[in-house]
Amino acid sequence: MNSICTQDLAVVLGHKEVLRHINIQIKKGMWTSIVGPNGSGKTTLLKVLAGLQACKGAVTFPGFDTQHPSRLQKAQYLAWMGQEQAGGDELSVYDVAMLGRIPHRSWLSAPSQKDHQAVKKALQMTHAWDCRYRRLGELSGGERQRVLLARVLAVESEIVLMDEPLSHLDPPHQVDWLHLVKQLVAEHKTVVSVLHEVSMALLSDEILVMDQGQIRHQGLVSDRLTHQAIERVFGNRIQIQHVAQRWVALPLI
Amino acid sequence: MNLSRIMKQLMLCCLGLLASSALFALQVSDDRGMTLDLPSPAKRVVSLLPSLSEMVCALHACDRLVGVDRNSNFPLTLKNVTSLGSGLDPNIEAIVVLKPDVVVMSHAHRAVERLNSLGVKVLVLEPKTHADVERVLQSLATLLGVEGAQKLWRSIDAEINDSANSMPLKSKGARVYFEVNRGPYAASESSFIGEILSRLGTKNIIPASLGPFPLVNPEFIVKANPEVIFITAQEASTLSSRPGWGRINAIQNKHVCVIANHEEDIIARPGPRMGQAAAILAHCLLIHGRFE
Amino acid sequence: MLLLLTLCLVVLYWGVSVGSAGFVNIGSMPNEPGLAAIVFDIRLPRTLGALCCGALLGLSGALAQGLFRNPLADPYLLGSASGATLGVAAALVAFRVSPSAGHWLARLGLTGAAFIGAMVAVLLTLALARGFQHTFRLLLCGIVVGVVLGALCSLTLLLDPQVLQSMQTFMLGSTSYVGWNSVIMMAIGWLVCIVIAVPLGRLLDGLSLGESTAISLGLNIGFLRAVLVCVLALAVGLSVAQTGLIAFVGLASPHLVRSMVKVTHAHLLLISSVMGAALLGAADVLARCLLAPRELPVGVLTAVLGGGYLLWLMQKRQFSSTGGES
Repeated sequence: MNSICTQDLAVVLGHKEVLRHINIQIKKGMWTSIVGPNGSGKTTLLKVLAGLQACKGAVTFPGFDTQHPSRLQKAQYLAWMGQEQAGGDELSVYDVAMLGRIPHRSWLSAPSQKDHQAVKKALQMTHAWDCRYRRLGELSGGERQRVLLARVLAVESEIVLMDEPLSHLDPPHQVDWLHLVKQLVAEHKTVVSVLHEVSMALLSDEILVMDQGQIRHQGLVSDRLTHQAIERVFGNRIQIQHVAQRWVALPLI
Repeated sequence: MNLSRIMKQLMLCCLGLLASSALFALQVSDDRGMTLDLPSPAKRVVSLLPSLSEMVCALHACDRLVGVDRNSNFPLTLKNVTSLGSGLDPNIEAIVVLKPDVVVMSHAHRAVERLNSLGVKVLVLEPKTHADVERVLQSLATLLGVEGAQKLWRSIDAEINDSANSMPLKSKGARVYFEVNRGPYAASESSFIGEILSRLGTKNIIPASLGPFPLVNPEFIVKANPEVIFITAQEASTLSSRPGWGRINAIQNKHVCVIANHEEDIIARPGPRMGQAAAILAHCLLIHGRFE
Repeated sequence: MLLLLTLCLVVLYWGVSVGSAGFVNIGSMPNEPGLAAIVFDIRLPRTLGALCCGALLGLSGALAQGLFRNPLADPYLLGSASGATLGVAAALVAFRVSPSAGHWLARLGLTGAAFIGAMVAVLLTLALARGFQHTFRLLLCGIVVGVVLGALCSLTLLLDPQVLQSMQTFMLGSTSYVGWNSVIMMAIGWLVCIVIAVPLGRLLDGLSLGESTAISLGLNIGFLRAVLVCVLALAVGLSVAQTGLIAFVGLASPHLVRSMVKVTHAHLLLISSVMGAALLGAADVLARCLLAPRELPVGVLTAVLGGGYLLWLMQKRQFSSTGGES
């Protein structure tokens, strides 16, 4: 069953065609990673899927009940986390996570019990619960990233889109994030992540390989064709090997 | 012989003195305490303060004014004289081109320095009180090499006295308030306007200790409860809307002296028209002087 | 807890303000009870006016900093300061130049002229920036409008330099003529602004993580931003019209609040108002009693008070951060 479908998507920014002929189907309840070299349009594609970037062509959500969802309904259904988000330094960690509940809260009311529970759960999942009263600006890069992740999780949406979620995270916390995604998938949520770390991406269910604004390949992680596509877009400077029951990308020296 | 040598030295000294006095015939000191030396009375004068322009003309030397500031508008003949911009920020180039013997102006440090560095002689005169006016008239007379400063001052003084004498006895000590500008900025006893009002026998509610033109708390005015208020035309309409002012004696009994636009210049300048200013103020006081 | 503390501060200042007299430092009420009524006609509305105006400025400062995500934003950044000054200058000069215009202007009053001037300036900025979309463009246009209107104001003053002294009172701020009408207008204005702005506080919170995040959270940032800009313009217009330009209160209040508590924007707007009220109230009292019966312009004191306190806070923070953890 498909979660997100695009039809002949194209995006032009300035005079440059950033995305061309994008026709993809992202499956529900699976973790899809998008990999590709710099400038291949990964971030733009994710933004289009989130509805944050104007485009030609169509993006549809077959899993969604209503044909034309309202802004709020869409926000409850889909959560997006961008790259390198500055700002919000004055807010406490708890308040930042609570921002994720905005789509669920009515205008005039204080946060409900459900909101508090969602925030607590999200902060605990990202191991940021202990610093919930500290200001965002006081945290280190890794701590900050985990808080921003918690914000996305607090939305409790069906689809979670994440752009470079592992930046600033040290290996233990990268593993934590992996567990997080596995848990989301276990709850039948759809996760799409743009990742620089190819080895991490090889732990997902499906991979979208992009280069120069186009999709070069979409396929399962275990598929040999997928590996070849990845190696090709990175100029055959890496090699994908089977190590310890996993696929890893090794640099070719 | 000793005597003849001493006599020779004395003669030389005398000759020297005579020579030096012939070289610098005039010496005028200004408000900065600096002394200006001029070989002969000034024939080409630039004035950058309206009261100074009026004084020069009152000394019958109006024809010597080759340039005035934008605001010097009396006497009306000054309209034909070259205008040099504002008094605080004049057109330096235009002044230099006129080749004046001296520029008379109020304190404006940068302009004074600039003019001095360009070789133009500057006399800084700032009349603020009656005593100042008398002194400045004398300085200007010396500068222009004319007589009549004393006479002019006496006639101004006499005009003020006339107005004072025209005030009835019962108006002595009437509490007055003179508002210079919205703020409220008031004219106190120590200002030149205040001096006129004092000579007219009234009592200014703003004491001299606050300075000549202080910014006062309106509550002070309400508490002091003046019997007559002097105010400009444009502010007069706002008087009743000021909170708490409705209780003031002057407003309740409508003893408000409105100074018309054309009268403002006369009253606001410490110069030869102070006698007229006194007359205007006295006239209004007489009308509204139904003091109990 | 800290919220209550700030409120207490304000109440304290209020009490002190009403107590201190124009030219007698502690109001000794026992004598002359008739006079007491008079001074409360002046003193009470004036003090309350300072509090209301401070609240409006504190609110608009927090709004401006949140909307433009710039900690250096002050309430006047959409050109409203220059617009109001131009309005007042034009009114003053027009009266002297043609007395017939004077009748019109007497009805409008200087407060009306200032308010209209501020509104026109903001509208001009919005027109130049072509809408509410791009905050950077809004900021730039605000600066441009401010500078251009300021130049026009100087030109107007050239026509009649006599009004310079009146202008000075306006430009340095003064509560001299604040009566009950003004107080009521400002209080109602503040209530309206708060009621609209506080629920929209979460828009500002969302915006603090970036526009894209805010949109992804389902916020209609175009429309909500427009509403908040209108509220900002109204709050600034009201305060400028009644008391002139008062520097620093709008800029400093949010920072002062943030240095004491961690709050979301909804609370920040409220507490910043209270802080602004306290700041301006204190400044007004000092302005009246330092040189009694003379007055100092309020704007000078707000700068000294607010600036001094901010400097002290910065020093404190510097010591704690160099001494402790980062």
